[in-house]
Amino acid sequence: MTNETSKVIPIQSIPYSRSRQAGESQDVLDHIIDDFHDNPESMQYFYDLFRSVYCHGEEVKHEGMLVGTTCIQAPEELIYAFGATPMRLCNGSYHYDQKGAEFMPSKSCSLVKATLGMLNSDNVIPKIGKPDMIVNPTTCDQKKKSSSMMGDMGYKVYDLEFPNVKESEASRQYWQRSVRQFATELRQLTGRKLTKKGLQAAFNKTGRAQAAFRKLHSYRLLSPSIILGKDIFLVTNAYFFDDITRWTEKVEALNVELEARKQAGFKAVQSKAPRVLFTGSPPIFPNLKLPLLIEEAGGVVVADESCSANRMLYDMTAVDEWMVNDMVDSLADKYLKPCTCPIFTKNEDRKRRLLDLVKSFNADGVVYQAFSGCQVYEMEYRSVAEAFNQAGIPMLYVETDYSPDDKGQLSTRIEAFLESMKNRKKQKQRAAG
Amino acid sequence: MTNLEDIRTAVNNVQFNRFRFWLQIFFFALLVYGGYLGIELGKHLPTFACGYNKELRGGMCFLMPLQHWMEWPWEKLFSAAALTILYGFTIFFLWFIALNRGWCGFACPVGTIQDWITSLRRWTGIRYSRYSEGQYKGLGIIKWVLLALMFLIPLGIGGGWFTHDLKSPFCMICPGRTVVPLFGLDVSQWSIDFSSRTNMIMTSLGLLVTGLFFIGAFVKKRFFCFYCPMGALHYLFSKAALLRLNKEGAKCTRCGDCYRVCDLQIKEIADDIQNKNIMTDDCIMCLKCVAACPEPGALKATFAGIPIFEATEAGFITRMNKGRTDDK
Amino acid sequence: MNYFAGIDVGSTAIKVAVVNEAGDIAGVHVTASGSLFHKNSLEALNTLLDKLGLKREDVRYLIATGYGRKLFKEADDSISEITANAIGAFEAGKAFGGVRTIINIGGQDSKAIQIDDTGNVVNFAMNDKCAAGTGRFLDVAARNLDLDLEELGEYHFKSEVAPLNINSTCTVFAESEIIGLLANGHGKAEIIAGIHYSIASRTVRLAKRVGIEDRVYFDGGPALNKGLVAALQDELGRELVIPEHPQTTTAFGAAVLARNEFVAEQSSEKV
Repeated sequence: MTNETSKVIPIQSIPYSRSRQAGESQDVLDHIIDDFHDNPESMQYFYDLFRSVYCHGEEVKHEGMLVGTTCIQAPEELIYAFGATPMRLCNGSYHYDQKGAEFMPSKSCSLVKATLGMLNSDNVIPKIGKPDMIVNPTTCDQKKKSSSMMGDMGYKVYDLEFPNVKESEASRQYWQRSVRQFATELRQLTGRKLTKKGLQAAFNKTGRAQAAFRKLHSYRLLSPSIILGKDIFLVTNAYFFDDITRWTEKVEALNVELEARKQAGFKAVQSKAPRVLFTGSPPIFPNLKLPLLIEEAGGVVVADESCSANRMLYDMTAVDEWMVNDMVDSLADKYLKPCTCPIFTKNEDRKRRLLDLVKSFNADGVVYQAFSGCQVYEMEYRSVAEAFNQAGIPMLYVETDYSPDDKGQLSTRIEAFLESMKNRKKQKQRAAG
Repeated sequence: MTNLEDIRTAVNNVQFNRFRFWLQIFFFALLVYGGYLGIELGKHLPTFACGYNKELRGGMCFLMPLQHWMEWPWEKLFSAAALTILYGFTIFFLWFIALNRGWCGFACPVGTIQDWITSLRRWTGIRYSRYSEGQYKGLGIIKWVLLALMFLIPLGIGGGWFTHDLKSPFCMICPGRTVVPLFGLDVSQWSIDFSSRTNMIMTSLGLLVTGLFFIGAFVKKRFFCFYCPMGALHYLFSKAALLRLNKEGAKCTRCGDCYRVCDLQIKEIADDIQNKNIMTDDCIMCLKCVAACPEPGALKATFAGIPIFEATEAGFITRMNKGRTDDK
Repeated sequence: MNYFAGIDVGSTAIKVAVVNEAGDIAGVHVTASGSLFHKNSLEALNTLLDKLGLKREDVRYLIATGYGRKLFKEADDSISEITANAIGAFEAGKAFGGVRTIINIGGQDSKAIQIDDTGNVVNFAMNDKCAAGTGRFLDVAARNLDLDLEELGEYHFKSEVAPLNINSTCTVFAESEIIGLLANGHGKAEIIAGIHYSIASRTVRLAKRVGIEDRVYFDGGPALNKGLVAALQDELGRELVIPEHPQTTTAFGAAVLARNEFVAEQSSEKV
């Protein structure tokens, strides 16, 4: 007997741009563009880039082989020198976070869940294609353990051995050897040799990108700010996957526009807007939740210490003798010595960097984001808080993850923090004036 | 005031290596050939303007007269005649404080020769060698030992313990003695003196050190400077000097770029974030570290407190760009 | 005579406060939020003004705070309830020698705020993830014990034995625990005392994150519950300052701020 009310309903395939996953990116991007006034014109390139890659799922092209990286400690200059293209795989999508949660421990960090969730899917967005190799520096615990998981998913994974102690000469030697080993591995992968010209060309690319970033960084010193943090995060997030030469040109164009803004005395925020330094677990598109909340509430993120922005592009390499071995060793040093990631045993350098940023950028307060499950950032909170307390700088600690549920409560806390910062500043000025 | 800013920017963005190259040529010409033009800067120079370069030199290295004085019989040494030594030291001191150890980094002919040998090595594409941490710590003491011996052996001669043949013991082993006169086409120092056993030993030692000097300078940058007693003597007075190497610890990211380019492998420039005066006993004040620092204001060279060469972002970027494209 | 008003649009209740030019409180009003925030807020404001014999034009500045502050467009400005609570407690606390730590237990959240001697918020901690330790827990308990919310306080003191330990961290699971305890023959009084202590210890843990000064100001609806107050005082080991209308401190703070902003604007205009 047939029951007409029950039948098999075929699964409709919907184009990516109408999927919920795309919706997540769409919402955030629309918010970034429409809910703020006077976006710089040069930002249009970046808005369009994210729309095409994250909302429409368009392909991201690359030259040569594709080497995925899971951490900024993977020396991208080496990858470029071998004619391959590096792309950062770290993912910011709640959709993939939920996918990753199916096989990852519930208390893991959202970033790793999202990255693994993405790698485990059939339709990987951004559409970069399957990496020929994934370089996984052994930095934080979660990354370390995800190495074999990625291998099981069918990717070729290379463990780049990274030291846990920053200060010792032994670590330095270890890391230099590790980088040289990586170069050997790349040679086997690409079948090319590492030449002086190739390496110099790679240095040129990243050097130019870093110089452009430094200029952009310096424009944020101005008070009142001429550009909002949400745009800067978008620019640096684009570096993950965009073509480096084109990215650099667009940032240089942005710098030109910012110079014009500076000359014209343009204000992107009210003069009393609280200036915030953002530090901690990296905001990756579309999870720009916290910076957006700060700027919606009237604050402005003037500087940051996170690996999806400042730390990725700030430090520059100095080379004494432009021969291959000196260049490779200099590169190794640049990736290790100034690194302020909390994965090290001690992190005096991070505290000093934060205090220096607060001072140079005239920040009124600090927002410290830690993803739930990111043990290193969570544990380092105490010593950073003490340092800021002694220096009399207000700090707000937010433990959160990729889920949008806590936006309402977070906005209250952030507003209260900004109000408190404003009051403090007023009192200081009244006391001084 | 804008003019001052422009000058400052131009100085900070200078192509440092080229600037240093030409400044070194200038001092080399002055000290090694100055005599041709009748230039005589005196016998108290704080650098290896070698006394053995008899005809052409534009001034003399202080260590030669110093060792001569130390040889005086003790009755003379500890008498009123010692005022000469005091006078000599004062002139030496006055010359010294003008450039601090910049005398080593920019003026010393032997230093300049080593830099030329380094350029030769670079041209061949051979890489330089570095000391390991253990070697570095152990060998660093040698310059102080040599300085001590430079005083003690002549004293011993004056006191009647050592033969007179041990006069100017440091000059005998200094590579300056054999190498600098070469530039006047004078090879008279390239021989072993068989007149006495001591002379034979000392001159053989001298040639051995010269050989080591060439090999060492080829594989290491500024090889001899690590062992130089003149440098040690400098360091004793360096706190009083006008030219200083200063650091602002708060601005330092400990990126180690300065350490990487330092010829003398000095780690303290990168790691010390407490002290303002960052000069150690090995530093030759070549200022390569300042040129290689990307953090504005973290490192600077000051003269009498006024910053004359500072680390800047723009300077760093310009210099690294040129280095890359120059293919040096 | 100028008046200033603050309205705290909470998720369970709407509180309105009116202060006069001197900053003294003229009147307060509390009503349920319902689901029509905007309409009910407006009604609450008008009710209070009628009670005080004032017209809307007499209120020269109106500040909204609380969960629904952005929806209430009639307001001249809005601020977070943390700042409003701090101001309100600071002003009210002056009469008691000044307070520096504020504990607020609301319907759906709880907060601990530390202020400096000018009333500025220095540090704060919020429990906004979970109903345990909030007024909601009291609602659930009252319902399970078949009592009115107002009766919980007097029952607390009726207990002749030590308060029971409520082990569940979750309000929803605690329901089962309470029913189980009743079934095992335990008295309502000690169960209620246990609930009060459970909330109190959770609150103290929250407060420790911001630092606890000597005199602590305790407000929010549940502060009307004398049993809870006793439990909190016991766990805290400090003197507690309880206002006469603990639910309205935040609205009062908003009203005080409204007055201050108005005065500041006037004086800057004069210049």
